[in-house]
Amino acid sequence: MTDGVPARQLWRLHLEIRDHMPLWQQMLVVGSGVAAGLFISVCVLMTSGVGLSALWNEFVVFIFTNPRNLSAVMTQSAPLIIVGLAAAMAFKVRFWNIGIEGQMIFGAIGATFVATFDIGPESLRLPLMAIFAMLGGMAWIALPAILKLRLQVNEIISTLLLNYIAFNFLLHLLYGPWQDPVSSFPHSEQFAVFERLTSLNWGKLDFSLVVALGLVAVSFWLLISSRFGFLLNFIHSNPLMARAMGVRVAVLTLIAALSSGAFAGFSGFVVSAGIESRMTQSFFIGFGFSGILIAFLARNNPLTIVAVSLFVATLMIAGQSLQVFYQIPFATVQLIQAIVVICVAASEFFMRHRIRLAS
Amino acid sequence: MNRIPDRTDQATAGGPVFAPDEQFLQLSGIVKSFGDFCALDNVNFDLKRGEVHSLLGENGAGKSSLMNIVAGLYTPDKGEVLIRGSAVAIKGPADAAKLGIGMVHQHFKLVRPFNAVENILLSNPTGRYDQSIRRMRSLIEEKAASVGFEIDLDRPVASLSVAEQQRVELLKILVAGAHIIILDEPTAVLTDEEGERLLTAMRKLAQDGSSIVLVTHNLKEALNYSDRITVMRSGNNVDTVNPGEVTSADLTNMIVGQSIVEQPHPAESIGEVRLKVSGVRTARDDSARALDNVDFQVRSGEIYGIAGVGGNGQDELVSVLMGLVPVVRGQIHLHGQGDITRARTDERRGFGMACIPADRHQYALCGDLPVADNFAISKVLEGQYGTWSRVDRRKITAATREALSGYDVQGVRREDQRAGLLSGGNAQKLVIAREFSGQPSAVIAHSPNRGLDVLASAAVHGYLRSARDAGAAVVLISEDLDEIMLLSDRIGVMNSGSIVAEFDMPADRHDIGGAMIGHD
Amino acid sequence: MEFLINWLANVPGFAVPFALGAMGLIICEKSGVLNLGAEGYLLVGAMIGAGSMLTLPGHPYLALTLAALASALLSVLFAVLVVHLRVNQVISGLAIVFLAQGLTSLVAGKMGWTNRAFSGLGDIDLGPISDIPVIGLIFFRQDPIVYLTIALFIVASYVIYRTHAGLRLRAVGENPEATDAAGIPVLTYRFAAILIGGLFLGLAGGYLTVVVSKIWVDNMAGGRGWIIIALVIFARWRPWRALGGAILFGCIEALIPRVAAIGIQVPQYFVLMLPYAVTLAVMIWTSLSKEALSNDPSALGRPFVREERR
Repeated sequence: MTDGVPARQLWRLHLEIRDHMPLWQQMLVVGSGVAAGLFISVCVLMTSGVGLSALWNEFVVFIFTNPRNLSAVMTQSAPLIIVGLAAAMAFKVRFWNIGIEGQMIFGAIGATFVATFDIGPESLRLPLMAIFAMLGGMAWIALPAILKLRLQVNEIISTLLLNYIAFNFLLHLLYGPWQDPVSSFPHSEQFAVFERLTSLNWGKLDFSLVVALGLVAVSFWLLISSRFGFLLNFIHSNPLMARAMGVRVAVLTLIAALSSGAFAGFSGFVVSAGIESRMTQSFFIGFGFSGILIAFLARNNPLTIVAVSLFVATLMIAGQSLQVFYQIPFATVQLIQAIVVICVAASEFFMRHRIRLAS
Repeated sequence: MNRIPDRTDQATAGGPVFAPDEQFLQLSGIVKSFGDFCALDNVNFDLKRGEVHSLLGENGAGKSSLMNIVAGLYTPDKGEVLIRGSAVAIKGPADAAKLGIGMVHQHFKLVRPFNAVENILLSNPTGRYDQSIRRMRSLIEEKAASVGFEIDLDRPVASLSVAEQQRVELLKILVAGAHIIILDEPTAVLTDEEGERLLTAMRKLAQDGSSIVLVTHNLKEALNYSDRITVMRSGNNVDTVNPGEVTSADLTNMIVGQSIVEQPHPAESIGEVRLKVSGVRTARDDSARALDNVDFQVRSGEIYGIAGVGGNGQDELVSVLMGLVPVVRGQIHLHGQGDITRARTDERRGFGMACIPADRHQYALCGDLPVADNFAISKVLEGQYGTWSRVDRRKITAATREALSGYDVQGVRREDQRAGLLSGGNAQKLVIAREFSGQPSAVIAHSPNRGLDVLASAAVHGYLRSARDAGAAVVLISEDLDEIMLLSDRIGVMNSGSIVAEFDMPADRHDIGGAMIGHD
Repeated sequence: MEFLINWLANVPGFAVPFALGAMGLIICEKSGVLNLGAEGYLLVGAMIGAGSMLTLPGHPYLALTLAALASALLSVLFAVLVVHLRVNQVISGLAIVFLAQGLTSLVAGKMGWTNRAFSGLGDIDLGPISDIPVIGLIFFRQDPIVYLTIALFIVASYVIYRTHAGLRLRAVGENPEATDAAGIPVLTYRFAAILIGGLFLGLAGGYLTVVVSKIWVDNMAGGRGWIIIALVIFARWRPWRALGGAILFGCIEALIPRVAAIGIQVPQYFVLMLPYAVTLAVMIWTSLSKEALSNDPSALGRPFVREERR
């Protein structure tokens, strides 16, 4: 078969399956999807009482003219990039890791454990916290990964259930043994200065963003250049064929899933030791879905993940001021993300099909 | 002309009781394209009442596409469908059924967990469910008796044999009242004997006033069982002839355009035993037939053909040989490597085992990935084309380009084009180019000509022979007995999960067929 | 003993959302559509139920109807995405959940419905029958929706297994190509199945606010949607097994507030983990059992495209 394959009649339209579309057309289609999503989001926000000029101010003027807001976006984008990479790593092997938030929680627990019990010398404290965070995230994804590979237990549900278990465990710690003795609030004691990522900022440049970009480079090498990435492509698009060719699908899937957990755990460390400087009971909220969204919109490409993360970070920072000044609940940020994802996903239909009026 | 006797008797003895020239179905000027590819280019066809009409042609000639239009699965771009002289628009399978048209597809359209009654009821709903299921049962029994079919109505169709499933498909359209019956390659999945039984039943239906279209690529079937033969070639109808007035050589010429008939080339030098399979069993699994004590050996420089009706453990055997399914008992021995029973797939490939699976789009190619990646993966796994930290794309592209021209893979404009866009023959050549790129010591080929046209399949057979002549041990597993007879130097017959008989070439086709269906 | 009776008498109320939701998902997934949006439909149903009770107090049945309809409306979006636009069913389902989380929080906040209590639907009183000791309390002193749920289960399983429509629904989920060849409109069946699933899930969500909590709080479905999805897998898409599973989870949920009351010293948050941990354990147990997978809809998660050829 050569080019187009007919699909079926839909209403009075004739559909054909496209095998190929030039890159610029693909970009155009995705761009229109994003535009449509943003348009719908603007309509939603306007009906809930935010004027057009206010939106323009919050989303564009304040963020791109005020260096403080711009740097807030940069800071916010660091953990987003990392969860995006975490999701991409798992999706690459068709492992639907919906448990990023749970892995973030265990990452933060790992880091906070090191900080609370003063493990290691002060100079090594941050690296140790990072390592324990990654181990925490890996531990929390290991069970669903093994269950999927050994017993075919659906990982979507197992990772999701583990989110709720992790959250309740976090509450147990924060209302119990790890409660802040200073304020008696349900969050951990504030980290010492040398346990905070902000202590490493290079002037105005946020250190967590540097770390995130470093991870982007590592992921780019892993997924795009290395032999590992070459083989993951096969597992992604046809695991049966990969297995028949002698690719060790189970081993590679496990490695990718564990790296996904490690990345997620690391982002838990970045949020706790960075923006929050302690472990709170809500630091992870929204990151799980954002990670999935970012990986989906970026098609698992590490470089595109950076761009999409900046976009989502802008949404989040603007969403915070909408919350303060217009009483718009923060969940609206999630709503806008969902609308954009749905529009882009729907637009892919036009990438895969050619539509003509039926004669 | 080798006509079978009972056919001649029927033609001369009990003549038809209706006007013989009554036109049932006419297709005129049918055009259908899929994208740029023109599958049917101005095709004409007609079907009379009470005849068996063979539609003959090689794979990809457009036979199935033409009949799918009649069955309402495709809508033609141009042209007319006439039933008893009046034009009709067939918008879907339901319209076709109303017009008395029924088709048995090559891939059965059965809901596997449902039993026969439920499957037939699905397309023929009448009245209240509980009543109609009872009424349907007696109707099916009646129809089955009239055609001479025996069938278990209570078991899920998934547990029925292929021949039984085919009967369910036929009963489905008979119950719907079809009198234009289209059979798409019905004997491809049957043994010779089962095929004869089916076609005899079809002749009986024709005698009772139905019209049968027999879509086939098998010359003998067309000559022996039909009243007229229409030959198609690359989307055109070549001619319609009476079987008594042509020879099989004439038909071959019409089918392929020029005469190419593959000739056997027996092995010249056979060496030591390369691959030895002894007493291999696998665990029984619901979805697949388990292997039960499989024993055979293949020597270097020979093609060992494994004949058998589909579903007797062939897929399992391929999986076991390539290390995809664990062996419960028994041994696989590869000369020079010793016991490889527990070796992983990548290790076996490293030992020089190559595999051409039957379902190449499922198991041999990754349709979404570039042709170059599909070609390179085996060597990348062996550690070539760059290092673990960097895959050398440039080397891959160069090697792919060389292999594509070496194995005559057509239709690749760029090496990064998706492999899924290749036609069957070119996809198969790409698989062979990859599998043979490392001078294999043993080759497992399963139905390598499936879905290929005559030229492509001749080329594929040529590559298998040259691998053999280069000293490889070749295992050829095929449900197509012609392919087995043509290529093999020795033949084993697989039945119910074991090798039940072996034949040295030249062997008698009839004896092999007997072993294929003998003891359950 | 009194503890036991009190506990059991509370089980049906907790089991109903699981049961209704599972039934809705079974109908949807029997048609071959993997619907991960359950949590979202529950939220929309719950929010609309609460909103309706706050705006039109005293009409619980109207509230439940609106809850079901609102969720069905959301399921239309999902149906268009997966049936017509053939978007990946996993992504679509997740997007629906997040859309619903954001939307319910925004709408309820703007309408001032959040954290406002109302009087919902009470239990029936059948006089003397309800006063029979033990049995009366457990079986005859429940809210009307409990009985409706049982009726819906009887009707739905009859339709699935004993009618032409049910036969076709199952066929669509098993082998859409064959069903299409039999002249059955595959996409229409899938669309309808998603819609009916949305109605059931919306009713389950409405029940959460109108009958159980009598208040709307953001994200109050609390993962029940995901438990329902696991429940359906555990039940192998069989309605009556799903009902059994729903009762099991009803037992666990009804137990949670009682654990502390009877003086068992377990950390509170470990008790709250229980439903999720049990779900996970049940999923592992299900996958360990050697039961044949023959009841799974074979085409689950696969979009249907006619006339596609290689």
